[in-house]
Amino acid sequence: MTALQPNPTVDANVGTGVYVYGIVREDAHDVARDTLGIGGQALRLVSFEGVSAVISRVPPGDEPKASELVKTHARVLEELNAASTVIPVRVGQVMIDDEAVAHEVLRSNTGHLHDLLDALEGRDQFVVRAMYNEPEILAEIVQGNPEIARLRSRTRELPADVGQSDRFRLGELVAYELDMKRRTDGATVMEAAEPYVAAHVLRESTDMHRLLEVAFLVDGDCRHGFEDALEDVAEAMAERARLQLFGPMPPYDFVGD
Amino acid sequence: MTATSTHRRGGGYLERPAPSGLADVIEIILDKGIVIDAYIRVSLVGIELLTIDARIVIASVDTYLRFAEATNRLDLYEKSKDLPEVIQDMQQGGAEKKTSGAIKGVKKAIGSGDDDNEDGGSRPAKKSASRRRRQEA
Repeated sequence: MTALQPNPTVDANVGTGVYVYGIVREDAHDVARDTLGIGGQALRLVSFEGVSAVISRVPPGDEPKASELVKTHARVLEELNAASTVIPVRVGQVMIDDEAVAHEVLRSNTGHLHDLLDALEGRDQFVVRAMYNEPEILAEIVQGNPEIARLRSRTRELPADVGQSDRFRLGELVAYELDMKRRTDGATVMEAAEPYVAAHVLRESTDMHRLLEVAFLVDGDCRHGFEDALEDVAEAMAERARLQLFGPMPPYDFVGD
Repeated sequence: MTATSTHRRGGGYLERPAPSGLADVIEIILDKGIVIDAYIRVSLVGIELLTIDARIVIASVDTYLRFAEATNRLDLYEKSKDLPEVIQDMQQGGAEKKTSGAIKGVKKAIGSGDDDNEDGGSRPAKKSASRRRRQEA
C-alpha cells in the first residue's frame, strides 16, 4: 500500500476519522486482508518507511459501543499477532485521516517503531494470574498468627456492629500476612518462569485473593519450557492457589506507555 | 510468531482459559498499548468512560473490614486444632456459618451500560497507576 495516500472516502464522512489498531512491518501487508475492524469496516494499512499502521474507518453514524470496540480491537490484534509481529495501539485511538496517521504516528516515531518491532520479533506475551484459594490461605493465616486467631475468636462472637476496632485490627493483620505470603509465593512463580522469559511486567491488582498477575514476553523457542515450568508451579501450589495462563497474545504490556 | 502448539505435558493443574467475556478482555488490554499524542487524536467518548469505570480505588478501611469478615466466616472445622472453638461452632448449629467465597473484593460490572457483560461482571476492576517493574529483553 502506498504511503501517505489520502483516503478518498474521508471527506464524504467528515469527522468519523480513522481508527488505529496497531503497527506492523510494511512487508507484513498481507496480514490484515481478511480481517474486519469495528462496525465491519475493512482494515487498511498506512505506511511510512517500512512501518505500517493497521487502520479502518470509524463507521459513520452512532459511536460504536465501547464493549464492541474493545472486543473488536482485541480480536484484530490477536489475528495480527498470530500472523506477524504487531505493536498494539491502545484501545480507542482515532485520528483525523490517513495522512495524520502517517505523519503523526509513523513519521514521528519511525526509528522507535522499528526498534520495538525488532525487540518483539518471534515473541509472544503470556499473562499468568495466580489466585489464592480463600479458605486454605485464610486458615494458614489464622493458624500461623496467634494474635489473628485471638482477634478472630473474639470478634466472631460479637454482633456485627460491635468490636469495630478489633475487626479493623484483625483485617489489617490478615492483609499484612496475606501480603507476606504474596511476596514469598509470587517469588516462587517468578523464579520458575525466569529462565524462559525475555521480559516481564507485574500487573497490579486490588483483588484480595490475587496472588500475582504478571505479563511475560516469551520467545517461541522457550514456550514449551515456560509452560512446563508453570505447570510444575501450579501443581506444587495446587492446594493453596490456582494458576491461570493466558496467551499467546499480542505484546500489550511490552510496548511502553 | 510462534505457531499454535499442541504441546501439553499434562498434569492439568495449570488452567488455560480463553479470555472470552468482555470483563476478561478489558482486564487484559485496557490501558495497554502505545498511545497517540492526545492533542492530535480524536477520542471516542465510550472508551473514556470505560477507562474511568475501571479505575476503582478501594478505601483501606473497607478493605480491612472485609478481610476481617472473610476471616470470621472461615470454617476451620477440619483445619483447626482449636477444639473449644470447634465445639462452639457445633453448638451454634452452623446457623452463622457461611462457607467460602467471602472474599470478593470490590465487584463492579465493567461496561458502558449495555448488557454485554457475559460473565456477570464478577471481575474486579483494576488498577490505578501501575507500579511496573520492567526488565528489558
